[in-house]
Formats: sequence, structure tokens, C-alpha cells
Amino acid sequence: MRGRTLLRHAATEGGESESRCLVVSFPKERGCELSNRFRSIIAVVLAVAMLATFAALGGCTTSEEKADEGGEGAVKGGTLSQFIVEPFAITPTLAYESEGIYIVSAMFDSLVEYDPITSELQPAAAESWSPNEDASVWTFNLRQGAKFHNGREVKAEDFKYAWERMLDPAMASEISYHLLAVKGATEMLEGQATELEGVKALDDYTLEVTLAEPYPDFELVVGHPCLGPLPKEAVDADPKFDENLIGNGPFKMAEPWVHDQYVKLVRFDDYYGDEPYVDGLEFKIFKDAETAFLEFEAGNLDFTEVPSGRLADVTAKYGEAPDGYTSNPGEQVLVGPELGIYYANINNTKAPFDNPKVREAINLAINRQAISDALFDGSRKPADSISPEGILGYEAGMWPQSRYDVEAAKAALADAGYPDGEGFPTIKLLFNTGSYHDQVWQLVQADLKAIGIESELDSAEWAVYKDKLKKKEFDIARYGWVYDYPIMENALYALFYSESADNQSYYVSEEFDAQVLKARSTLDLQERLAGMREADKILGKDMPVAPIMFYSHFDLTSDRVNDFVYSPMNIPDYVHCWISESTE
Amino acid sequence: MLKYVARRILQMIPVFFGVTVILFILRAPGVLPGDPIEMLTGDRVISEVTYNQLVQKHGLDQPLYVQYVTYMKNLFKGDLGLSYKKNRSVTEIFVEKYPYTLRLALAAILIEMIVGLSVGIISAVKRYSFWDVAVTLSTSILVSLPVFWLGMLMQVLFGIYFKRWGLPYLPISGMGNPPDLAHLIMPAITLASVSTAYVARIMRSQMIDVSQQDYIRTAEAKGLKGGAVVRKHALKNALIPVVTFIGIDLGAMLAGAILTETVFNWPGIGYEIYLAITARDWPIVTGGVVIVVIAYMIINLLVDVSYAFLDPRIRYGGEAA
Repeated sequence: MRGRTLLRHAATEGGESESRCLVVSFPKERGCELSNRFRSIIAVVLAVAMLATFAALGGCTTSEEKADEGGEGAVKGGTLSQFIVEPFAITPTLAYESEGIYIVSAMFDSLVEYDPITSELQPAAAESWSPNEDASVWTFNLRQGAKFHNGREVKAEDFKYAWERMLDPAMASEISYHLLAVKGATEMLEGQATELEGVKALDDYTLEVTLAEPYPDFELVVGHPCLGPLPKEAVDADPKFDENLIGNGPFKMAEPWVHDQYVKLVRFDDYYGDEPYVDGLEFKIFKDAETAFLEFEAGNLDFTEVPSGRLADVTAKYGEAPDGYTSNPGEQVLVGPELGIYYANINNTKAPFDNPKVREAINLAINRQAISDALFDGSRKPADSISPEGILGYEAGMWPQSRYDVEAAKAALADAGYPDGEGFPTIKLLFNTGSYHDQVWQLVQADLKAIGIESELDSAEWAVYKDKLKKKEFDIARYGWVYDYPIMENALYALFYSESADNQSYYVSEEFDAQVLKARSTLDLQERLAGMREADKILGKDMPVAPIMFYSHFDLTSDRVNDFVYSPMNIPDYVHCWISESTE
Repeated sequence: MLKYVARRILQMIPVFFGVTVILFILRAPGVLPGDPIEMLTGDRVISEVTYNQLVQKHGLDQPLYVQYVTYMKNLFKGDLGLSYKKNRSVTEIFVEKYPYTLRLALAAILIEMIVGLSVGIISAVKRYSFWDVAVTLSTSILVSLPVFWLGMLMQVLFGIYFKRWGLPYLPISGMGNPPDLAHLIMPAITLASVSTAYVARIMRSQMIDVSQQDYIRTAEAKGLKGGAVVRKHALKNALIPVVTFIGIDLGAMLAGAILTETVFNWPGIGYEIYLAITARDWPIVTGGVVIVVIAYMIINLLVDVSYAFLDPRIRYGGEAA
């Protein structure tokens, strides 16, 4: 079982469209008034990505050039096959794990999309967009002439319809929360309204979205691949529409989803954006990564997971992608960091964990590098705060105590009134069985013992684990978070705001609440990000949880796949990759 | 005989209700930990509104006995409900997957019968010969091999290395599109492996047992040839325990084969039910178990009926049974 699918993988990336390129550059055409603000902040974010540029400089040209000149031998044709496990859903209305979102992102374009590497916003179904003065009303200008796979033009109404469908109580969609910022969304979800009040199609190409309250990050929310349009007439006509979709993206369905076997897509020739090089995509459904890897070795799969514990020999054989995200023949193993984090969730309501000094001691006690080395051949980056590198507004060292220092940990524990762990109760470390969690928590257990904290492993099956978290019957528990949007707020607000349902550490701080709310509604992007960093610093002082490691890719492509970009938000760029002529 | 069959079918009814009641008791709060709806969203917490919507959608807001009655009513209409986790009709899932499970199970049983029986007979007839020792040794090894390991070994050898060496190779996983025989070979052998070894061993010991009986000595004494003795007298009598074993084995295979399905990515029902149990996806669990129980009872009945043909002393019907 993929560990990853146990996570709520509402990870996001925009649908595929124009101006995606491996070169980190600003698109020539900017439709958005906010783009200037972005441009400046992006410069900071890009520092990291510049490495990628250097690595890619040799072989990369812009996509338009590539199309004109045939690029570095880029050829059309071939079908890219990818390993997935059986998705819950492949329809944008319901898809919540990475498996479904791969497919949704290939078949649908949202209003905007994120750059695959920098997460910078780019136009997609909307050519341009702008907020009003307090970012409570957003106007999106749709591209004219863009078509659904059934040939009909995409209109503003289609977005309204798709969003209303997601909020329809009868659909009971687990991802309806994406739209909760929109005015009237809650009413609709609760069945008090049948129409989404905040969304209006002013004309065929103008979509006006009114929010419940000002929310400057909203433009990033609508980049989620599941917020694309749906053709109402097709949904109404086909009771099995959700398995035989019609979207507006670069690929369309070749045949309805064959459960537990495959999902086949082919290139959509009337797509408005860059034309994909590959003829089609085949998502092959497996029960586990081991069998998929055998198929990979037999030459029957192009994109799969590295089986656990085999990174070193797989890398030696297939070569590592220099930037961690872009693979080419001989540079096939992808281990770039993802926007997601694995951490020790501490029950802040329970003594002695209500004492910040105790939480600090726990943070200092964990040898994060050792965990990464033991389980992931060092490929996962030890977490030095809750916000991963690559998120907009990232700054290193926000949580100074999230590091390994046994002496400091002992001192903190003594400060808390438990010198050498004397008088400290034996605690329980809760995690769900399976995947690699057992090994992580054995290492944490040993680390805690080193500073004098005795603990027991509480390994529970998924059902029991969820139950205990909900009932607050835990001391320290495994937890994971994968970003929906590339913004700090997505973790800070969701995980630590006192009234957020996802706040499973039950951390409450008035100071933090006030700061995160203030930052959230700050209009200027720079100021907003600075405000989020302030909020993050408050967390860094209180240490409500103990970050352990950031997720990273653990995947590889076959030696016939070129210019394949797998974003930090776990969305592959299916449009700009290409397949070499078979050598067999 | 007909009377016997009818009675056996009537006996299935209480079994069927017993099983479904037990399955529903498992759903009662507090019996097994874990809320199926809470579990749907991974690490993320499900919002209260969505939670309530899902609870209503799946009828979980009703008292358990109402859920049971509704389920039974729908069951007789052929509707097994809606999966929590998969958002699909359970009937649809099993209608789609059961033929795949059946395909694999029948192929495996065929291998088991042909290979197991003949190997068992040969080693019994040629007792202590080279072949007998070879069979005894290889069946011992086969019985102790983990199924998934054998499966993966074959995948690597026949799927990957044979391809590299330019030999005819077998597909590694899946069923083929459309399903073909090549895809069936390795999973069927894997699934049949342990049982085939058992069948061979049971067959051998039974044959040896039977061959020491008086009626065999009589047959030999009256001048029947060796082959005829084996065919006409020994085999039929030795078969009963083997048929019982094969029947039970087929019943088990019809419940799916989790390991084989996983290793070969076979879209059968075993893995489906296993996943559903871990996810507390009760409609799939209940539907699956109901189907499996019915299949099992039918197989058992067939096995019992077949005894009558194998051993004339066994007669069903009337008061004697």
C-alpha cells in the first residue's frame, strides 16, 4: 500500500496548459494585476529553483521554441504509462488523493495553475483575473475558444456549475472545503440554498466570485485541479459521467475507467494550450509498488515508485535527476522535496505536554537525520519547521528548536521540572501500522529514552488510530500534512488555528490566532507572507508539535521518458514530456 | 437423493441469516473500533457537515435493525448497497470481479487436479522409485514456500529474465486486455502450488493405503493387470479424501486469494474484501461474505453429492442418511 495514499492527498497543481517550461522564467504574457507583486516575491523563491535552471540549461528551451524547432530531439507519439493504486474517484467533484488528482489534472484545466517547479501562478482557463480593493470580489476573464472534449466551448457558467456540484449535499464531496471561502458555500453545503450565491457568470467569459470575507490568497485556491469546469449537459446525460469524464484539459478519456485495471487517456487535439507530445497516458492500477516495479524492470511502465529500501541500488542503476523534479534518460530517479510534512503530533491539552518546555525537549531529542538515513537513504530532508522549502514566503530557521541536540533537550526537560526524566510519566507513541511508521517510531522511542523519557509504542490499525486522535486519547501521535495550495497559510491556519477542525494537536494561542487571521487578510503579498512568517515564529516559540521530515518524491521514470517534470505538489507535467523512439 | 439436496438447500437459509446477522453486529458501535466515515479522508479531519451528509447518504443514521431490514430487502432485489470507500455499487463491483476470481480459481483447481492427482498416483504406484523420492521432496519444498515468494520468483525469472535472454516470456501482472491465457499461467500456478502438493501427498498416501486392502489383493489375484487395478479399484476408493480436500480448497479460492491477487495484480475479490475490512467498508464486506458463503455452501453440497458416485456405500435420501 502506498503510504502516501493514507494521507489526505488533496495536493494540488494547476491543470496543464501553456507556458510550462523547464526554464525558470516569467511568462511573457501576464494577465494578472497581482503578477508584479508575485514577480518580486518569486525572485526569492526562485533562488532554490535556480539550481534547477543550471541543471536544465543544457537541454532546455522554452516550450514554444521546442514546438517550432523540434527541441532537443523531442518527438511526438508514444503512450506514457504510470503506476497508481485504485483511486477513490477520478472526477474533479470528488477526487481527494494523489491518484485521482493525477488524472483530474491531465483532463481538466482550472482557472489558473501553478508553475510545476516554482509554484508561481500562471493563467490557465482564465486569461487574466483581478480582485477588488479588499480582495473580497474576484473577476476572472476566461479564454475564448477553449473547448471541452465534447467540442463545446467552455463558458463561465460551467465553472459555476462544477463548483455547485461539489457543494451539492447529495454529492457529499469530501473536498467541498476548497470552496468554503466563497459566499454562500456553507449555506449550499448545509442544504439551505440550491445556488452558489457568490458565483456569477456576468457573461460567457466573465466569472465573478464574491467571497464571504476578504481572502487575498483566493487566487491560489482556484489553482487546485479539482476546481475546473464541467459540462452540465454531459453530466446530466450520463449517469456514469464520473467514470467517463469530459473535461477541458490536454487529455481526454479513451474509454471509461476500468476499475482495478487502468484509466486510459488520449491527447485532446482541440486543446487551446501547448499540444502534448505523447499520444496518450495510461494509468495502470496496481495493488502494490513491488509488482509495479517488476513491470517497470520488464519495460512495461514509465513512471513508478522506488520500492522502499532500494533507493541506493535503484539510483546507481538509473541515475538521479539533478534537480529532483526533472527526469531524463540516465537521470531517472526523482527525490525532490514535496510540499508536505511528517511530524510528531503532541497532545497540547494533556499534562505534561501542556508545558512548552516539555515540547521543546521532545523537539530537541529527535534525531531527524538518522530517521531519514535509516528509512529513506537520507532522501527526506529533516524538518526545521512546519513550512517546507519551496512554499511561497519560505525562510529557514523559523523553528529554532526543531533540531537535534541531546544536551539542550536534557536541559529543557530539567527546566520543565523533570531532570533526567525523573517523575516524567511513561508516555505512548501512537501511529498507524503499515508503511514505514513502525521504524520511525522505534527510532523516536530510542531518542526519547536518551533524554530520560520512557515511552511505549502504540501501534494501531488505521481505524483505531483515527478514533484515538479524535477522542484525544494519545500523548504523541504520527501525523502528516500535504499542502493543497502552495501557501504557508494552508498549514499554519489549518493545523494551528484554534478553531480549525484539522488542529489535531489542540494547540490554542490567542497570540497566534490573532496573528494568523491578520496575516490571512493582508492584501499585499509581501506583507502577507511576512505576517505568516510572524505567525510561524510564534509557533516556533511554542513548539506545539515536533516536525520530523518533509516528504519527498521517491519515484523514477523509464529510460525512454524525457523532460518529465514531477512537481513538489505531486503533479506531473504530462504536456511537455516526450518519449524517445523505442530502442527495442 | 433429491430429498437430500432439498434438505441441504433448506439448511442454507439459517446459515445465511446467521452470517448476515453476525456481520451486522460487527457494525454496531463499540464492537469494532473505527468509524468508517471518519476514515475516508486520510489524515485530514472531515468537516461536520460533510460527515453528516455521508452518514445520511449511507443510511448510517438509522438504527442498526432498520439498516439490517433495509439491507435484506435490497439484497433480494440484487442490490448490495453502496461502498463507502469506493463510491460504487457493491453489486456492480462483484458482478465485475467475481468472474475474474472464478477464472483464477478454476484454472488453479484444474492444475491441482491434473498435476496433483497424477503425480500422487505415479509416486504411489512407483513407490520408493526415483520419481517417488523426487515427488516427496518437491512437494515438501512447495508446501513450505511462501506463496508470494514463489510468485515473485516466477515473475522475475519468466517475466524479466526470459525477456532479457530473448526467450519466450510471460506477462508479469494483470489479466491482459482482453483477458488471455498467458496472463493466467503464473497466477494459477502460484495459487495452485501449495494445494497441488497437498493433493499429491494425500493421493499418494491414500493409494498406498488402499493398495493394501483385501479387494486389491483379490483383483490382483484374479489376474487383472496393474493399470486396471489402479483405475478400476484403487483410484475410486482413494479419491474420497482428495475430493473433500479439493472441494474445501475450491471454496477457499472462491473467497479470493489475497496474496496471489496482490503479487500478480489480479483484480479478484480477495484483495477487495481485505481492503474493505481494513477500511470498515461494510457494504463490500457484507456483500462479499454473503457471496462467498453461498458459493462455499454450494461447493460443499456438490462435494457431498459426489461421494455417492465415488462410493456406492454412501447413499443419501430416505431415512438412512
